[in-house]
Amino acid sequence: MQFSNARPHFRLEFRLIRCSQKEMAEKGGKGFSLPKGSLKGKDDNSAKSKQGRKVQIDFEDVSDPLEPNSPKTNGKVNTPISKGDSGKGGKASKAASGGKNSVTKAPSPEFKIEEELPKNVKCLMDCEAAEILQGIQDRMVVISADPSIKIPISFDSGLTYAKRGGTFSNPQSVRKILEPLIKYGVSEGEMCMVANLKVESDDEVFALVPSLKSEEGKLRDPLKTALNELAKIQSSV
Amino acid sequence: MFFHIVLERNMQLHPRHFGRDLRDKLVSKLMKDVEGTCSGRHGFVVAITGIESVGKGLIRDGTGFVTFPVKYLCVVFRPFKGEILEAVVTMVNKMGFFAEAGPVQIFVSNHLIPDDMEFQSGDVPNYTTSDGSVKIQKDSEVRLKIIGTRVDATEIFCIGTIKDDFLGVISDPGSTS
Repeated sequence: MQFSNARPHFRLEFRLIRCSQKEMAEKGGKGFSLPKGSLKGKDDNSAKSKQGRKVQIDFEDVSDPLEPNSPKTNGKVNTPISKGDSGKGGKASKAASGGKNSVTKAPSPEFKIEEELPKNVKCLMDCEAAEILQGIQDRMVVISADPSIKIPISFDSGLTYAKRGGTFSNPQSVRKILEPLIKYGVSEGEMCMVANLKVESDDEVFALVPSLKSEEGKLRDPLKTALNELAKIQSSV
Repeated sequence: MFFHIVLERNMQLHPRHFGRDLRDKLVSKLMKDVEGTCSGRHGFVVAITGIESVGKGLIRDGTGFVTFPVKYLCVVFRPFKGEILEAVVTMVNKMGFFAEAGPVQIFVSNHLIPDDMEFQSGDVPNYTTSDGSVKIQKDSEVRLKIIGTRVDATEIFCIGTIKDDFLGVISDPGSTS
């Protein structure tokens, strides 16, 4: 009852605010960011405020942009003025309602590197990079006698990262095992990623690399075979 | 991910370096100038592995410096959107946690951490499941997916998520791997 009594009062107040916004926009005031000419977002509100002489339409129109928030505020609709601060209040109420699930899930980006890299680039598996960098480090022991040559921090962090968790002792055999997957539509980058992650099952591969799902039918069996062989190499290290 | 790539750079050399060691001086200058740098296109240059070619030097008017076009092979590390990689947690706070994968820093917001994990403050801040079975703290290894990258002048910074299937903690700092 209190809520329904409060609503007309709210509407009147809101209309006054909208009128003042419109006046300021017309006067060229920047405070309310209602640019003229475009019909997007806030400008919709300004356009609608022209229609907003009718209280009901004004309220409903204004509530539309706020509507995505109102279910989440659940029980807090009776404080719509505070929703004017919805940038903060909405987030607080989301937190209060334990709503991490209120964040819309953005589509997961696909792993496509061929478009961004030049064609003469070779993707390296971590075990291959570790082999190369270790060789350089062994040579650096000799070269480091020269004080002017300093080993960059990114080299140490890169080598540590490449060697983490134990690596395949023979990178060439790993590449031989995975290379046949290329004819089934697996890119070199995806192949290296599978080797780096030491996946255990084909389901895991399809979950982590969604772009391979389109080839799932013909890829599943060769992938299982390759993963079994990788597991044998890994266990023999 | 690591890549092996051929890059080209124009190296300027002062006439005092000319002599029989010209090529060595050129290579060591290249290593000093390039190794450890970062670009948005190629990522971090981790190490130079070889010199492919050194072009003819061009004397610059007025200065006496000579510019040599040098093609070199190098190992670079560059993260990509959609890439899954394993990182080590370096810091945990209520906004999320930071992790490192090689030279790259990755931030995982608390919005991209599974809902059943809550932040626990204290001496060792961490994210823990309600039953306490899974914990993310400093030095934990996590598997995450990169969903965004930002390039500065000298580094690449990434945003990651562990809110998908087969992502999350791999090992705790206390466990022996």
